[in-house]
Formats: sequence, structure tokens, C-alpha cells
Amino acid sequence: MTEKTDNNVSSSRILQGITRLQNVAAVWVLIAAVIVAIIMSKTETALVPLWFLAMAAGFTLQRSRFCFASAFRDLFLFGNSQIMKGILFGLAIATIGFAINMFKQVPFPAFGVMPQEANILPVGPSTIVSGLMFGFGMVLSGGCVSGSLYRMAEGYVGSWVTIGGVIIGMGLLSQTWNWWWNAVISESPLIWMPTSLGYGGAVILTLLGLLATFLFVTWLESRSGIYIPQATKETLPNETFDGKLASIWRSVFIKGWPATVGGATLGGIVVLMYMVHMPWGVTGELARWANYAMTAINIPPPTLLGLSDIGGCAGRADESGLFTHTFAVTVGLLPGALVGALFSREFKLRFPRSPKRYAQSLIGGIIMGYGAGLGIGCTIGAFFSSVPSLSVSAWLFAASLAGGAFLGVQAIKRIG
Amino acid sequence: MELDVRGEICPYPMMKAVEAMKKVNGSESVVVITDHAPCLDTIPPQAIRNGYTYEVEETGSPEWRITLNPKGEK
Repeated sequence: MTEKTDNNVSSSRILQGITRLQNVAAVWVLIAAVIVAIIMSKTETALVPLWFLAMAAGFTLQRSRFCFASAFRDLFLFGNSQIMKGILFGLAIATIGFAINMFKQVPFPAFGVMPQEANILPVGPSTIVSGLMFGFGMVLSGGCVSGSLYRMAEGYVGSWVTIGGVIIGMGLLSQTWNWWWNAVISESPLIWMPTSLGYGGAVILTLLGLLATFLFVTWLESRSGIYIPQATKETLPNETFDGKLASIWRSVFIKGWPATVGGATLGGIVVLMYMVHMPWGVTGELARWANYAMTAINIPPPTLLGLSDIGGCAGRADESGLFTHTFAVTVGLLPGALVGALFSREFKLRFPRSPKRYAQSLIGGIIMGYGAGLGIGCTIGAFFSSVPSLSVSAWLFAASLAGGAFLGVQAIKRIG
Repeated sequence: MELDVRGEICPYPMMKAVEAMKKVNGSESVVVITDHAPCLDTIPPQAIRNGYTYEVEETGSPEWRITLNPKGEK
């Protein structure tokens, strides 16, 4: 018994030491991020708010352990819908925010004009193929693009492999995009609900769709058995001012956030990003890197047809220079997530033990990258920013994601 | 039964914990050692669904020991 107590004392001392070290590191990361923001402001001032909003998004993803892959996967795997409900909640908030912003840009949608930066994407067979590939890939690799990005910052080496795979997959897509464009996508319409329904009808239909999805996932969850969480013991003294502050610090920086808080915060962040310039998306920047890499090894991608008429992520892949809007909203996620991981002592370099996990990360990443390129966005750009854009494509993409995730679950059950 | 799933990410820690709970079938406790924070949200609901109580102990930075006890024992 005494031995155990001694162990606890020394390990808690080590824990305290690590805590201090990680807090100091977190402050340095924040300082570095501010310096990067100052440098970026010389290129364009709009980059600064986008950069900090992306940091807030990365922090939120890390704190609420928000994982789009698990939101879809765990519906089938365990009948768990916590994160999916958080997503639906965030989408409801973003839908209203986006509608107000789009109304300012296009007050009379019936004339057929669409807001330029909104993520309104083609609806057609390619939407289904991209959703299936993306959904399958994200379950196989263990995270979607945004999930793998924030896990990169948390020190998951498998996620670095996944992002490498995503870039390879996007390169493969760039090389084959024109075939898809000529055969399929050029015939696929961009369907924006307000054109025929007006803003009121489109917002109501979208909110009803979210409500119906909420009821559906609740039903799925109840089929696997209801559970009541155990009451958690709060041991911190709350009476004093210091105690209260410590308790607030703990719930923001140490404990994981509930999924609904994470979803609502992300919903607010995408609205703010759209107000600054464009909705959130993380695949445009990775597509740009894929194109740079292919150019560097002398297999530059062909001129991609049709993309200049479509908004969303890939439409900006041809921007040049280091500090672009896609750079700010994508790379900004990393310091945000790193700060979250350091303050909560969740940063650690983690190497998968089994070689087959590396293969899963790479292959899943390649399939997911190809799907993200084809769908002109990932779970963020083609889904989380696209549903509030009142685009029909987002719903077809989401249903296909669920289908792909279902297939992915069958695969990982066999891999073990 | 002790289950060391350090280095594994979602959904494997949870999948393996559920497998282990089914394997011992309530005859003994299952201890899951993990460095993956999302497990703290995903394993407890599965423990309850399988008729276990859970106890989470922070043992490292970041490392947790989740003890799953069959209900009725303890």
C-alpha cells in the first residue's frame, strides 16, 4: 500500500513538471503564431483574421475531440451519435449565419445569380463517387482531412502519413480531373436552394433536414441501447475566487468539451470566416501542395477545366505565393490544435505499433485525397461549409459519406 | 485482463475494449491503458452498455488507465 502511495506521489510530481513544460511551450507557440500573423499582414490584412479563426477552429477541434470520421463511423460501429449531433447543431447555427451573409451579397436569388464564395458544388454521379471514396478512406485511415490535420499537431505520426496520402491522392485526381470534367461533372448542375425556394424556404428546408437527421441518428443510437453516463466527481473547491478561476481553466483547457459545444463553436467560426472572405475549407491548400510537388518532379497537372466557375476549395488551388487565404485557413489549424494539446497535456509523439496501421493510414489517405479532389472539398468544404451554403450537393455528399463510412467499417472489422 | 492499446487510435481502443468485455463476459475486470484522449469519451458508454462500470485514472502525460468492472462485483 505504501509503495503504491509513493509511486503516486512521484508520478504526480513528474506530471506537474511536464505540465509546466507544456504550458510554457503552448505560450511559445502562441507567440510564434502572432509573429506569423504579423508577417502575413504585409501580404494582405484579411489573412490575419482568417489565420486566427483557423487557429480557433483547430483549438476547438482538439478540445472537443471533434472527428467527422468518428461521427459517421460510430453510427454504424457502436450506435454512438454524440459527435454527429454536435455537427448537426453547428450546421443549424451556420445555416442561419450563412443565409444572412448570402442575402447581403445576392438579395434576389430567383434571378439565378449565386453568391460567389459560397460552397455550392455540382450535383451528379461524381458527388456520390467522391463521398463514397472519402467516407471509406477516412474510416480506413482513422481520420478525415481536418481530423488528421489536428492530430498531426497532437503528435500522431500515423496522421502525418495520412496527410501525405491525401496529397498523393489529390495529385492523382488532378491528373485525371479533365476526364471527370468532360465525362461527368460538366453535365452536373450547381443547385442552390434559394434560386427556387427563396431564402426562407431554403433555410426552413435545411433546418428540417437537420432535424430529420437528428431524429434518425437518435433512433439509430437507441437501437444499440440507451446509456446513462455515470455522475462524475468534481473535486476542485469552487467557493473561492481562485477555485472558480481554476475550475473555468480546467473546463476550457484541460477537460474535453462536449460535442455540442464544439459543434456550435465551429458553426460560429465558419460564419465568421465567410464574413471575412470565404467559408472554411482545408483541401484547397493541400491540392495546391500536390500541384507544386508534381510540378517539381516534372509531371505538372494539366490545366484543370471548369474549376474557375465553381466555388469551394479546389477553385483556389491555382493561387500563387505562400501566404494565400487557403494557407491561412488550413495551416492555421495546426498551431491552434497544438496549443490545445499542450495546455491539456495531450501532446505526445505516438507511433503506431503495428506496420499495418501505417499501410491503412497511407492507403486510406490516398483514397480520401482522390475523393476530396473529385468532390471539390472534404468533410469541411463539401459538407460543413456546404450545407449552410444551402447547396443540394452537400446532402448528396453527406449521404455518400455515410455509405462510404459503412463500407469502411466492414473493412476495418476484417483488418482488426 | 489488461489491454495495452497505447499507440492505437479510434476506433481500435474502443473496439478492443468491447471485444475484451465480451470475452471475459463479466467474470473479471478489464483494464485499458491508452494514450488516446477520445477514448475517455468513447469507452465509458460502451462499458455501460455491456454491463460494466468504469473508472478513469490519469497515469501519465497523456496516459490513462480505464478500469472496467462488471456490475455487481466490486
